[in-house]
Amino acid sequence: MQVLCCDDDFERWRAQARHLLMQQVAPHAVVWADQVQPQLFANAPNADEQPAMAPALPPPRVSAQLLGELETAAQYRTPGRWNLLYRVLWRVVEGERHAGLAGDADGSELQRRIKAVRREAHHLHAFVRFHPLTDHPWLDYVAWHECAHDVLASASMHFAERLGRQRWLIVSSRDAVWYDGHELHYRRTCPGEWASLAARARDSGDPLWETYYSSIFNPARLNPEVMQGHMPLRFWAGLPEGHLIAGLISRARTGAQKHGQTEALAGKSGKVIRSLQQHSAANRKAP
Amino acid sequence: MELIEKLTVLADAAKYDASCASSGAPKRSSKGKDGIGSTNGMGICHSYTPDGRCVSLLKILLTNFCLYDCQYCINRRSSDVPRARFTPEEVVTLTLDFYQRNYVSGLFLSSGIIQSPDYTMEQLIRVAKVLREEHQFRGYIHLKTIPEADPALIAEAGRYADRLSVNIELPSAESLVRLAPEKELISITGAMGTIDSASQESRFDKRAPAFAPGGQSTQMIVGADASDDSRILRTAETLYGQYRLRRVYYSAFSPIPNSPSSVPFQAPPLMREHRLYQADFLLRGYGFKVNELIGAQGNLPLDIDPKLAWALANRDLFPVDLNLAEPQVIARIPGIGVRSAQRIVDLRRLKRIRFDDVVRLRCVIEKAKPFMITSDYHPQQASLESSVLRRQLSDQPAQMALWG
Repeated sequence: MQVLCCDDDFERWRAQARHLLMQQVAPHAVVWADQVQPQLFANAPNADEQPAMAPALPPPRVSAQLLGELETAAQYRTPGRWNLLYRVLWRVVEGERHAGLAGDADGSELQRRIKAVRREAHHLHAFVRFHPLTDHPWLDYVAWHECAHDVLASASMHFAERLGRQRWLIVSSRDAVWYDGHELHYRRTCPGEWASLAARARDSGDPLWETYYSSIFNPARLNPEVMQGHMPLRFWAGLPEGHLIAGLISRARTGAQKHGQTEALAGKSGKVIRSLQQHSAANRKAP
Repeated sequence: MELIEKLTVLADAAKYDASCASSGAPKRSSKGKDGIGSTNGMGICHSYTPDGRCVSLLKILLTNFCLYDCQYCINRRSSDVPRARFTPEEVVTLTLDFYQRNYVSGLFLSSGIIQSPDYTMEQLIRVAKVLREEHQFRGYIHLKTIPEADPALIAEAGRYADRLSVNIELPSAESLVRLAPEKELISITGAMGTIDSASQESRFDKRAPAFAPGGQSTQMIVGADASDDSRILRTAETLYGQYRLRRVYYSAFSPIPNSPSSVPFQAPPLMREHRLYQADFLLRGYGFKVNELIGAQGNLPLDIDPKLAWALANRDLFPVDLNLAEPQVIARIPGIGVRSAQRIVDLRRLKRIRFDDVVRLRCVIEKAKPFMITSDYHPQQASLESSVLRRQLSDQPAQMALWG
């Protein structure tokens, strides 16, 4: 049994996997550990050292599509995430073309991970909240956002397309990404200075947005289960509107549900508009 | 009036329009350019409110002052609501600010009718024009079109907007006469026609300027009049066919404060709206015709979805063999969608489809089971009466919530 570690780096895993395939090492004879564990299998050879074995097969070739799928699935955080990828790769190279498809037992898990990673990238695009900074030398916007999978590096360019030449920073408790107006800079470990910038901005509310969120909500259609299905609870703390949700739900339940108007307006005096005909009729009546 | 008060009034006034989609725009990017904004055709839901609705666009009215007296509308002139009016500049500033903070992917602007339809339309266009030309805003813009406005103004709106919409409001001309006295079906469909021909022109003549690339949509209010689902779906089918609408939105009538006696005091069940959306999806995505889903009169069943209802009424077409059937036929099996049907077809090029394969594709297996055959499975329920199957497969009645 070989024990390998790729430090959760896809390119490193890819080089290791290519080497193993050329040596015809079957998936059951190799395991990727999440951290380097020298004491567990003291004599385990490290594939980075490329040990001299029997003459190898020519480098295997797989489709760019499969490689792309493996790279996406590799962003899925789970213990032992690299083992499934090698099993799928091995089986496809051995001629089982359906090993990566959703109908296969391994392929189904691969596709499930890909779907979760894409969804997490989508969550990033949806739920990042940028806070503007004024007079900062190298930054216009900063955000704090926790991803469940490793999508920050691969999915952040979206914001460069959105914000043009603006400079922005997205920080998580693990990694961080900074766009300087021209280029993206990814850090696997978030620098302390960046983290404190983001932490300061994180708690600043935004009255205009909170007002909009409360007013566009229709209490007569209360349906919190659907909301939570689309916007998982773990994101609420990072959203300026997050702290409003519980109050909106409970107030809608205890009274305002009969119609859709927002509570802030319910007590306000209104204004009936007279039509042009009524208007001129009224004018005629006046002395 | 402070901006924040205006926002309270004019977001509240806009919530009855169901559409918040930011999809269908061409790919645009601001990377390395002046200005901001991008679109990729997909649309993003940046938040969800506790009613389960997506917040994708800043959806507001320019003003809720209105000369019209549409009975179902909270902003009708006889309604006793607080009124407010944004300046176009205020809307521009709000849009840019919300966009940069990543709250929204663009603007959906509508308005009450003030002074005249043309004047109102000009005001809406002005906001879009300033966003696009002065701020190089490349995000999504959806403009509500005032049906009575000059066609030249509608043409101008289409140059700045990704999507235009004219609301059909009610499923029949008679209801429109009764509940929306200032509106006329002919001007509504006329505006839809103007939008459709301008959009066709820009599609086929490359020299013509781009025109509302996200197409047009409309909204029908469900439950404000007595129209049944059959009537509603037939109206939708006509609109899809005649004006190439991208979407028809169905909005369950939401009772409003100080409701006039001409409209109901109670909302229709939200499930009715949901079933209409499901049926609509079958029309757009699955090649169903209204006649297959519903009779000349009547409503869709509330306890089962329209695809299951259709399958139960057409038992002679089932069970379908997943190893042999065309993808369109597989997609008509309850519980199996278009995408899963395609995956089944992809997979069967490599191997015979077995029951477990369908489970792994995450189809709704309980619904699909009675209607499908695989190489290792033949449904026992194939001989069950449709009424028995229906009882087994219908959505369980929900327990009523303790608090309303």
